Amino acid sequence: MATVEAVAVRATRQAAVSQRALIRAAEMIGGGLVFLFLLQWFLGYSVTDADMWAVYQRSFVNGTIRTLTYVAIILPVSVILGFAIGWARVSRFRTLAWPATVYVEFFRGVPPLVVVIFASVLGPNLLPERFQSAELGLTLGATAIAFHSAAFQAEIFRAGFQSVSRGQLEAAQAIGMRPMQSMRHVILPQALRLSVPPLSNEFAVLIKDTSLMAIIAGKELFHLTLRVQDTIFREGGDLRWLFAQWTAVAILYFILTFTVSSVMKLVERRFHARGIEAISV
Amino acid sequence: MIRVEGIHKHFGALHVLRGITFEVSKGEALVIIGPSGSGKSTLLRCINLLVEPDEGKVLIEGAQVNRPDIRPEWVRQQVGMVFQSFNLFTHLSVLENVMLGPVRVKGLQREAATAMAKELLARVGLAAKANAYPAELSGGQQQRVAIARALAVDPKAILFDEPTSALDPEYIREVLDVMAALARSGMTMIVVTHEMGFASSVSQRILFMDAGRIIEEGRPEQIFENPQQDRTRAFVSKILR
Repeated sequence: MATVEAVAVRATRQAAVSQRALIRAAEMIGGGLVFLFLLQWFLGYSVTDADMWAVYQRSFVNGTIRTLTYVAIILPVSVILGFAIGWARVSRFRTLAWPATVYVEFFRGVPPLVVVIFASVLGPNLLPERFQSAELGLTLGATAIAFHSAAFQAEIFRAGFQSVSRGQLEAAQAIGMRPMQSMRHVILPQALRLSVPPLSNEFAVLIKDTSLMAIIAGKELFHLTLRVQDTIFREGGDLRWLFAQWTAVAILYFILTFTVSSVMKLVERRFHARGIEAISV
Repeated sequence: MIRVEGIHKHFGALHVLRGITFEVSKGEALVIIGPSGSGKSTLLRCINLLVEPDEGKVLIEGAQVNRPDIRPEWVRQQVGMVFQSFNLFTHLSVLENVMLGPVRVKGLQREAATAMAKELLARVGLAAKANAYPAELSGGQQQRVAIARALAVDPKAILFDEPTSALDPEYIREVLDVMAALARSGMTMIVVTHEMGFASSVSQRILFMDAGRIIEEGRPEQIFENPQQDRTRAFVSKILR
């Protein structure tokens, strides 16, 4: 009997959730349309201008693909690296902890733009002949962004680890769990619960930071849009196109970050522990 | 069953345990009392090797266990522990808290572990709370779950580190009742507590510790009514009020 009731309650709740999601999506699309309408009528340009797209389309599509590629590579690399370094910072092995601290302090203190330039310009000279290729500079530049973000993510993971009380580890040990088991089944799920929200923040920053690749001709959205802009300046064209193009760029970055933070919200829900509710103030 | 010999422990300049020797026989419920800072908690933690003794031996059923070729995880399966602050895993339901040890440490199948966990929860009177989360329970209920969790890996003995000190007065009884039933069932127990009623009715023997040493040892009525040492007398008079 109880199970039938539980299933019914769950189904109702799920229906309510998906209904809310639908309303939310409708709101966003409506808001977007209003936004485009405002652009057209008050600011005098339209992101749907066909003549503009005739000039811009190829750059936009190729740039978007490149940007997505960078995100798809940099994001996982930075998470893995950040997690490892965050873990190292709280490791009981002191020899792991201090290099991790040096890493974090270094990459937090140096402008990412400088790191990208150093990595892509100087980097290839430091590597042996057989690694050389046309894309090596870009690869190293992307790696630099991943390294930069990893420093911030390391701090997020460290804070997560340190928020788990000593008693939790002792309790795991007391039932006979090995260090790695305690980590996987007790420490990690609780550490991640607190790491996910700030992590989603850092992901949004990282996605937008891929635009730094423009400084080393990364051929991503930001870079290619700059090139189109130069062409328009040089060869003449409707200057309102520029506004339309940069608006399109902004919208694309927004969609990207919004998608990622929506996914992170789902992850957040998965780590939710009942009884530990956030306070409303 | 459990024997410690000449245990010493330092924390930096602090000499917390200064040569502790005692033995608990199978099925005995030993109570340890003493002022805070006397080293009771550290002593318990030395027995299941949550803290590594600097000197001395820990023996379980005659075999020394604090040596490099024996994994401390194995020792902790033999000797369970219940903490003052419960330390239930906050991200797991009550049932999962109890199941974690059997599944991950003992390698039990999930169905078998579930059945066993439910049985243990029934034993501590919390069958109805299996799907609740720790933060949804009272302190007394949490501590009973913690006892079920300790029992779930089938230990030969259980250490209790002031199990009722963090509880509101109205919940102390229910935890002590579970512990008393456990003692009656023949579980070997070492209990650090200031619950004199429990000590008198359940334990055969009380150790009084102060400043890292065992000062006095005796039957409950002797320790409470006729202590031989000045320090024991001073402490007992304070807790009996």
